[in-house]
Amino acid sequence: MTTLIVIDQPPYGSWAGREALDMTFSLAAFDQPAAMLFLGAGVNWLCKGQAADAVGQKSVEKNLSAATLFGVEQILVDARACTQYGLEIDDLLSGTTPSESISETLSQFSRVVFAG
Amino acid sequence: MPQSLSYTLVITGAPWATQAPQTALSLAQALLRAGHRIDRVFLYGDGVHLASALSAPPSDEQHWPRLWSEFLSGNNITAVACIASALRRGIVDETEQARYELTASNLRAPFEIAGLGEWVEGNLKSDRVLYFHGAH
Amino acid sequence: MPENTTATLHIINKAPEHARFRHCLASVQQGDTLLLIEDAVLALLDREKQLPGAFYGLEADANARAVANRVPADQLVNYAGFVQLTANHSRIINW
Repeated sequence: MTTLIVIDQPPYGSWAGREALDMTFSLAAFDQPAAMLFLGAGVNWLCKGQAADAVGQKSVEKNLSAATLFGVEQILVDARACTQYGLEIDDLLSGTTPSESISETLSQFSRVVFAG
Repeated sequence: MPQSLSYTLVITGAPWATQAPQTALSLAQALLRAGHRIDRVFLYGDGVHLASALSAPPSDEQHWPRLWSEFLSGNNITAVACIASALRRGIVDETEQARYELTASNLRAPFEIAGLGEWVEGNLKSDRVLYFHGAH
Repeated sequence: MPENTTATLHIINKAPEHARFRHCLASVQQGDTLLLIEDAVLALLDREKQLPGAFYGLEADANARAVANRVPADQLVNYAGFVQLTANHSRIINW
């Protein structure tokens, strides 16, 4: 039973997305199947070239790049939001899967957990 | 006799910043009245502020941390504040005070500090997991 | 569309303008139930929002916001009803 963690908060302005990422890695660490969906403004977590040290934070780019190695099954990204923010597939970290229909994507997971 | 279910409640909204602690407490009380069990309450993110022993609201306002600790103690329910969320936000027990050589500890009983593994276990063992987020 | 065999309880606490609200409404499928709590009870009054078949607002939150006296009583549930909804649904999404 895979848990889908959904992050719809943009990066760095709040800790909610970062802490949801910790939840995902914690599922993976306990061998529980996990996947992620970056929704709405949350798609910007996946953009290459983040320089988070400019705001005194750690970039999550490295963690996200390694997510599938840690056992995260899938990283889904809201295709419509990517278009909205002018993000092409090449602008995103590798290994993401576009989702054209959010409701259809959500319905495929028995457990859906939104970032707080 | 309706079926009795077990619940894990996850609170991510802070008191006096969101309604989450009140909604969660009212629901928790109703769960017990209906004969269900609460396996665990898990505080995550800003929700860890509910475990502070140092909140001092005006006397004519509801004291959410106190109301919660009375409810938890009175019903023997385990409540855990996520260690990573808690340490960042200055919620520490005596063990963490000693480990980080801090000047004080402020974890309100009966809350405990533990890792996200407690949340993972809730996912595995409880029949239902409910989240109480902020509305922002 | 994959067939959704499990009826889902969608619980939302966000105001109708929140970005999550649109996705929530789009995800409510036939047979699902929508429970509006906290700021979301304002959606009961929102003339720009079309709510799906089965929806309820939490009575305490509707009372607090002076919504309760402006909507039909059968659109409201109390905390016991909230509990009942969570017990009746094995799949729950907290939006």
